[in-house]
Amino acid sequence: MATLEELTTEATAEIEAAKPMYKQVNNERLEFTDADYDQAITDLANSKWDTQQFGYIQARQEAYGSVQDQLDMQYWDGVNGTTTWADHIAQVKSDNPKPE
Amino acid sequence: MAGSLIKIDEEIVASAVASVTLTGIDSTYDVYMVKVNNWKTDTNDRQCLARVTESGTPNTTANYDYAGKGLRSDTTFTNRSGTNGTEFKFEYIGTADSQAQSNLTLFLFNFNSTTEYAFITNEMSNLDYLGNAFGTQGGQVFTSTGTARDGIQFFMSSSANTSAGTFTLYGLKK
Repeated sequence: MATLEELTTEATAEIEAAKPMYKQVNNERLEFTDADYDQAITDLANSKWDTQQFGYIQARQEAYGSVQDQLDMQYWDGVNGTTTWADHIAQVKSDNPKPE
Repeated sequence: MAGSLIKIDEEIVASAVASVTLTGIDSTYDVYMVKVNNWKTDTNDRQCLARVTESGTPNTTANYDYAGKGLRSDTTFTNRSGTNGTEFKFEYIGTADSQAQSNLTLFLFNFNSTTEYAFITNEMSNLDYLGNAFGTQGGQVFTSTGTARDGIQFFMSSSANTSAGTFTLYGLKK
């Protein structure tokens, strides 16, 4: 896993590559100031850090079946002696691992 | 009552920009309203964000708390919450679906105060980056005092551009 310093280096390179960047205020389109670019690097590095550390939470939320579907899986697992629901949960966790 | 909603600033994005700032909040009105229509980005899967501005400069300190509910057409409704973030947070849009966009209404409270936290309510109608209909309702608080806030800056996560959108600030006549 990357450190925040490493992600900041990545972010700096990406913002450099994205230049020029613009902001719109008072109906004028102005190029970023040095302070704006510094903030963009900070924001991008923090975003990368959040995705690395916590992105699995949202990914899992979106991958899990609905409560109704999961209850249906559990019902049929009980009837048929299958493991569909446990397999589904294990697959989502495996596909979206929590960082070590 | 006619004439109760006073337009103060409007920014129409015609060329891609990384941020859009609405200015003109002062003591004239107690409550302000922001309408964002047709907000689009040029990068897939990016979150819509905002910050208060003080003397025109966005406040980037870790003083933004949020709580809300994402009402989704594709799966279970999602709770959204967090404290001590560095921006107000809304929902995700992108480019995988060409119609993906966000439409947003905010009410802004206490922005001109130097002693009270600033509060916003947000209501959002989205088509997300996968083409799923998405509604969001929530409340957010900027938990810092000492300086009046005179505007609000909108931007996308991960330095993506806003490629289109009409951002309008209104005052609610006292």
